[in-house]
Order: sequence, then C-alpha cells, then structure tokens
Amino acid sequence: MIDNGLLVQMILGALLGLSVYLPMAAGQLSLATPAFYAVGGTLAALLSTQGNAQSAISLWAVLGEMLLAGCLTAGLALLVGLPVLRLRGIYLAIATIALVEIVRVAILNLPFTGGAAGIFGIPQPFQKPFGYVLFSGALLAVCGWLFQRLEASRLGRSMAAIRDDELASRCMGIHTTRVKLTAFLASAVLAGITGVIAAHYLNTWNARQGSFDVAITTLAFVILGGSRSWLGPVIGGLLLTALPELLRPVGDLRLVLFGLVILLGPVFFPQGLITPALLERLGRWKP
Amino acid sequence: MIDTLLQTLLNGAASGGVYALVALGYTLIFSVLGVINFAQGALFSLGGYLTYLLLGGKIGVNGALPGWGLPIELPFWLALLLAALGSGAVGLLVERIAFAPLRRRGAEPLLSLITSLGAGVVLVNLLQLLMGAEGYAFPQAAAGLAHLPESLLLGGARIRTIQVLLLVISALAVASLSLWLERSRSGKAMRAVAEDPTTATLLGINSVAVVRLAFLLSGMLAGLGGGLIGMSVSLAGPYFGISYGLKGLAVLVLGGLGSVPGAIVGGLVMGLAEALIPSEASGWRDALAFAILFAVLVLRPSGLLGRRQLEKV
Repeated sequence: MIDNGLLVQMILGALLGLSVYLPMAAGQLSLATPAFYAVGGTLAALLSTQGNAQSAISLWAVLGEMLLAGCLTAGLALLVGLPVLRLRGIYLAIATIALVEIVRVAILNLPFTGGAAGIFGIPQPFQKPFGYVLFSGALLAVCGWLFQRLEASRLGRSMAAIRDDELASRCMGIHTTRVKLTAFLASAVLAGITGVIAAHYLNTWNARQGSFDVAITTLAFVILGGSRSWLGPVIGGLLLTALPELLRPVGDLRLVLFGLVILLGPVFFPQGLITPALLERLGRWKP
Repeated sequence: MIDTLLQTLLNGAASGGVYALVALGYTLIFSVLGVINFAQGALFSLGGYLTYLLLGGKIGVNGALPGWGLPIELPFWLALLLAALGSGAVGLLVERIAFAPLRRRGAEPLLSLITSLGAGVVLVNLLQLLMGAEGYAFPQAAAGLAHLPESLLLGGARIRTIQVLLLVISALAVASLSLWLERSRSGKAMRAVAEDPTTATLLGINSVAVVRLAFLLSGMLAGLGGGLIGMSVSLAGPYFGISYGLKGLAVLVLGGLGSVPGAIVGGLVMGLAEALIPSEASGWRDALAFAILFAVLVLRPSGLLGRRQLEKV
C-alpha cells in the first residue's frame, strides 16, 4: 500500500509541515511556505535543465542547488519578512496568501519557466525512489534533531514566549522582530530546499506546485498534527500526504473525505493529534 | 479612443461590482465574528452551478448523472434569486458545522480558518462529483434574456447587455444591503453586535441569530456573484469560485477589514485596475489584485476606508 514513491511524498509533506510550523511556533500564522517551495523547485528545475540535456545528475549538483535555493529563499524572505511581519493574525495570513499568489502568477508568466505546462525532464540524482527515501529521510532526521535542540535553546524559548505573549516578551528584553524574522527565514529556507528535492523527484515542475491549495494542505498538516511540538507537523505531514492515496479505493469521493478530515479535525481534536498531554504521557521523552 | 476607454471602464465596474459582492460577504461575517469564512469561494461556485441548473441546464458527460437536469426552466432573475438563497442556506450549514462548535468551546479563531477551508474543499469536490470538472456555458435563450439585444450602444461604446445587467444587479444588491444595515431593526442589531458583542447581548440582542443572519446573507451574496459571473462568462469548473474568493479577500483588505463602504469602493477600484491592464499583459492580471493587497497591507493596514485599530494593552 505504501510504496517508496509514496514514502518520499510523505517525507516531503513532513518537511513542509515543519516549514509552516516554524513561524507558528513564534506565534505567526504565515501561509508563505508554498511560495518558497515553488521558488526552490523552479530554481532546481531551471538550473538542472540548462545546457545539454541529461537524464542523470550528480548528488553534489543537487546539494549545490539546495544551497543556492536556501540562499535565494532566505534573501526573498528577508525582503518580504521585514514589512510583512509587522502584521498580526489574520492580516499576516492574508499577506502571505497574496505572496503565494504573486509567486504562482509570476512562475506562470515569466518567459523562461515554461508557462502552464512547466519544465520537463528534470534529471534524477537517484535511479530508484528508494534513493529519495534515504535522502529526504536523512534531511527529515537532521531537521528533527535541530528542532529538538531548538526547543531547549534560547531562540526556541524566545519563540515560545512570543507565541504566548508578544508584548510581555518584548518587555522581558526579547528582540521580537529579530526572533520572528529568524523563524520566518528558517521556514523559507526549509521550504526552498524541500522544493529542490521535490522538483527532481517529480521530474517536472510547474506553477501549480505552489498554489493556494498547497497552503491549505500544509497548514492542515500542522493544525491536525498538533502545533505545540515539532512532532505534530511531522506526523500530520506524513499522515495527511498518505491519506488521499490510501483513500484511492473510494475513487472520486476521496477529496471530499479529505475535506471532511480538515473540516472536522479541529472540531474533534482542537489541539491536534500530538498534544502536550500525550507527550507527557509518553514518558520523560518530551520534545 | 474615448469609446474604448468608456467600454473598458464599464467592464471594470461590472467585474468590480461582483468583487464588491464577495468582499461584502466576508465583511458581514468579519464584523460580527472577527473571522474570515474561507468557504466563501466555494459558495460562489455553488451559486453559479445552482443558477445553471435552475435555468434548465443539463449535467455534462463527466458528471454523476450525465444528461440529467431539473425539469424546470426558470427565468434568469428567479433562478438567480433561488440560487442565492440556496448558497445562503449552505452558508448557514457551514456556520453550524465549521464555526458554531468552535465558538461554543471558545477555541482559537485560527481554527475556524481551517474548518471553513475544509468546508470549502468538501463543497467544491461535491460539486465536482455531481457536475464533473468540465466548463458550462449558460443556456442563453432559456434565460428569458433572449428578447434583450446582445449589446447596447452607449455614448459610442458598445457594451454587452449582460455586463450592464451585472452592474445593475450588484449595485442593487449592495444598495439594499447598505440600506438594510443602516435603517432596519435587524440591520442595527447586526451593527451593534459588530461594535461590541457583549454589550449587544446585554441589551437584549440575540447575537446567535445575528451571526446566523450574517452567514445567510454572506452566502447569498457569494451565490449571487457566482450566478452573475456564470451568466456573463461561463462556469470554468467547480474551482472557478475559489479565485473570486481569493480576489474578494484582496478587496476586503484594500477597503479595510469590516468596513461596508470600503468593500464597495475596494471592489470598484480592483475591477477598474484590472480592466486597465493592457491585453498583452493579461497573464499578469491575476497578480495585480495581490500586488495591490500586499502594498496596502504594508503601507496602510487599515485599508482605504477602514478604521484604524488601536492596540489594547
């Protein structure tokens, strides 16, 4: 039922969930993740299809693309984040939806990104999906380790403080703008490098990869998984990416059922699947 | 030259009217609950499809019941009205399922963003199941509009009749809504709840009823918009309302969240701005609304006509 191909997508979903979770851990509802994901994927697609067309690409080249995508998305996030992060709550959410739409229309209309059809024949660093499983799984493991460290660090605690009360944490001497911007930058970079892997894995890339729908689904990863610890978005991303595939037997109804999960999930699990109480019960191991 | 300009402006005003309808739908709910109903775009789609069916349109080959249609062929105005009521009823249902349980529990408003998005996903995909993903053109002759000329000559500019109709109907809807909010007892109750829900309840206003009314009216506005766009353009698949829903969001911010005149002015500004984009750059048209939105949020977050929010400490 779950083959390697689906496993890759599930891991990519978990990475995107983490990307949405980062600003939210600092109390900022940003839906910008698909925009940076699209930028990363487009960059990888453009770079690796330049020159003579090959069907394979070395892993080093992919790592180089990830580095470039990280720099590009970080720069973009810095540019956008400074004005946008002054906004609060629903205003920030709407502004980031606008960013997603602007990036989508830009990729659709720029002369070198292949229009509606997109870019085809993106070379593969691995011959089999299993290579992607290992590669993206390693990235997810590294992220998990970093997030675990983050929550005990000064930065992570500052983020939690801002989420609980921004004004109070500013009074306590936390540089709130810097902390929020850091979270936003890290979120953008994570989305960008995930986009690079996704572009190679999917072999083709177009503007639809970073649409409003993706903003909804990735947000659902965090809300349904649980937004109080990094494990929440990981579990949410893995499960919700697998769900439409596992629902394939019900045919056309699957998207309706997927919508019902998003609709009823917060009603029945307001804290998501991974709640602080659950983590408490799991023993001393508390991320 | 001046003719084409007039033509462009009228086209812009017509689509601006529809944007204003969508934005007003958001405004009603935002002002009483402080949340945004992301199912609005799906209700817009629903209104379009209901109008199509009520006009006697048949389900296409990819639908659940190919070739099936309602055994009635209503005149356009009646179909539009009933479709708006249908969307309003579904809007009420969305309130019951996606908003009410969270509100009763006093949950974070953020959660209703997700649940309303979920309601929208369910609605759009149900539409897709029933009607298929194909586009539909309205049965023009059956709409009772056959006796009207295809286009009118206005001051040297040739305008499609349906565009004029679009403008007139949305202007009527907006005007009657504003008048109702301003004058009627229930309109005043709604404004009172928007101002301060606690005080309004203490003064004996049934705030639950006001909230339901807001959802009903908001759904009706979305449905009306969907029917009008379906008539003047076509139904381009069940997702067609989503893009109008997103643009309505841009209009909402442009005018100022929670401001009724702001939504109207914002809609017109947006429609005119889009119409003025030259056709060579039409691919970028969809980005304009969001570029404007972005600029407004950064430069003037309270919008064109919104009230400045004071931060309470």
